[in-house]
Amino acid sequence: MSSKHDILNALKSAAIAPQAMPVIKVAPRIDDLVGQFEASLNTVAGTLHREGGLAKLQAQVDEQIAQGMQIISMLDGIKGNREVTDTAHQLRDIDYAVIPGDLGVAENGAIWVNNKNLGHRVTPFICENLFLVLEAKTIVANMHQAASKLTLDSGEFGTFIAGPSKTADIEQALVVGAHGACSLNVYLV
Amino acid sequence: MSTSTSATHAHKAEIFCKDESRVDWHSKALWMLREKRDRAAGSLPEWEQLRQIGSEMKLHTLTHLGQYLEEFEQNCHKNNIKVHWAKDGAEHNRIVHEILAEHNVKKLVKSKSMLTEECHMNPYLEQRGIEVIDTDLGERIIQLAGQPPSHIVVPAIHLKKEEVGDLFHDKLGTDAGASDPLYLTRAARAHLREQFLSADAAMTGVNMAIADKGAVVVCTNEGNADMGANLPKLQLHSMGIDKIVPNIDSAAVLLRTLARNATGQPITTYSSFYRGPQEGGEMHVIIVDNGRTDMLKDKILAEALKCIRCGGCLNTCPVYRRSGGYSYNYTIPGPIGIAVGSQCDDTNSMPWACTLCGSCSYVCPTKVPLDKIIHHHRRLKAEAGKLPYGKASYMPLVGKFMASETALNCSMSVARMALKILPGSLLKPFSGAWGKYRELPVAPNSSFEAWFKKNRG
Repeated sequence: MSSKHDILNALKSAAIAPQAMPVIKVAPRIDDLVGQFEASLNTVAGTLHREGGLAKLQAQVDEQIAQGMQIISMLDGIKGNREVTDTAHQLRDIDYAVIPGDLGVAENGAIWVNNKNLGHRVTPFICENLFLVLEAKTIVANMHQAASKLTLDSGEFGTFIAGPSKTADIEQALVVGAHGACSLNVYLV
Repeated sequence: MSTSTSATHAHKAEIFCKDESRVDWHSKALWMLREKRDRAAGSLPEWEQLRQIGSEMKLHTLTHLGQYLEEFEQNCHKNNIKVHWAKDGAEHNRIVHEILAEHNVKKLVKSKSMLTEECHMNPYLEQRGIEVIDTDLGERIIQLAGQPPSHIVVPAIHLKKEEVGDLFHDKLGTDAGASDPLYLTRAARAHLREQFLSADAAMTGVNMAIADKGAVVVCTNEGNADMGANLPKLQLHSMGIDKIVPNIDSAAVLLRTLARNATGQPITTYSSFYRGPQEGGEMHVIIVDNGRTDMLKDKILAEALKCIRCGGCLNTCPVYRRSGGYSYNYTIPGPIGIAVGSQCDDTNSMPWACTLCGSCSYVCPTKVPLDKIIHHHRRLKAEAGKLPYGKASYMPLVGKFMASETALNCSMSVARMALKILPGSLLKPFSGAWGKYRELPVAPNSSFEAWFKKNRG
């Protein structure tokens, strides 16, 4: 407790006069939100499937299962071949995870995912590839709008996912697929 | 290579500059990031507005820091997050070790955190029998090489792919001579996956701590923070007191500028919000001062705490790009490193690793007045009687000389004459270090004063 006291005490001799909180009011770009979202998703190396919806996704899932892939679906209406495991570590061999996204952000292609829909929190990171499902009507223009809409209750975890995992740590060469999913396909419904 | 404080910035830069092609390559790699940043910033009509809001919001938070830190702690408690306070790096390390020891942790996976570098946490824990695995690819590369980071966002920017290939061949058993970034990255992925799956605890830095929610935000492109924090039951997050923001709306402003200014991406791949531990798990946040409250006592230095560590100022800095991260006598290099680390540099040379061009201040997403702060550090060094390498003896003379019109005019006309009639080889030694990598200037025909009198007077 004494360090807390010392730090708070030291803050009392800060030199700058109190400044007011600015109003955060930035005009959103609201034309063609789906088009903007698709363009942004492309720049972060993700792929948007605008047509076909859940039927197209289920066909894709079935095809992968036929090829022997391990697929976990956290979305009602899409059937994989794996269930939620007892421990997070047992998800280590998952090839594909199907996860519902809560909202999409047009300016950067990010999709908000909440742990209520993940089984284990690590699901969207530990899978080799990721299928996210997004309702077109949930796409907002920018992060300010997203912030006002996202839910994050006490004890929860949520994340904006913008494309597959990537790195450019070796000579600035972009490599898709660092620790998280190596590909991201987004199905619009 | 260590950041020993025995040599001045100029001396260490000279070592880096010995390999001229590497300097060119280093400079170009960073300039590429700067160009990507310009494209990303230019694509948002509201970019300047975001900088302004970011700056004002950080200033507001810094001037109400006590209030927000306490609010943050209370809300963390409601979310079942344990909060610790550390005055300095030593206390931070002690707290971390106590938590890990209590849980009998043998292996800790860590995602990039400049704060734990600042506290020298890795060696502290390793001496106490805990294996620390850096999981950001760049961090892992330099950890395997036994080096500190040379950049705050791209820590292995100074290494070429062939060097990484040799290192991985040696440490991870990749094919000899392999240097393909895709192949090497995949090898690191497999190696680090095993580390994630076998770790007892995870530690991350904090990009933003949200006061009214009691939540921390962690941003990575690789997903290493989330692979780490979401597998073992124990997660730790270290944050400087300056990482607090009032609410999610303010975090959203910074999330719009952070990645755009760092690498030109619209946002990092993963921007994760932790508002409590996973089921059956434990979550700890360690709030660290380590000199920050001292900086807040100085009006000018205080503004350095608006920094969100995007690294944009390093990428644009003409000195950093040509002297490398290891030439600065502080964990954080470049303009922001000078701003926050000059007190720690016992050669007192860091504030002079700067041309005062101001490019860093112009690209900063929260408008940290870096050039002004660096200039202020020079004044502080002078006032403390700590000017580096002889500056203390000759600068007062320079001041007297430049204050005398006669002396200045006389010697300038002598210099102009000398530049015209004497050979460069004879004059160059007089230019000292300045002339080492520069040609002598072409002398103008007359002084500016004479030109002005004739043409405009």
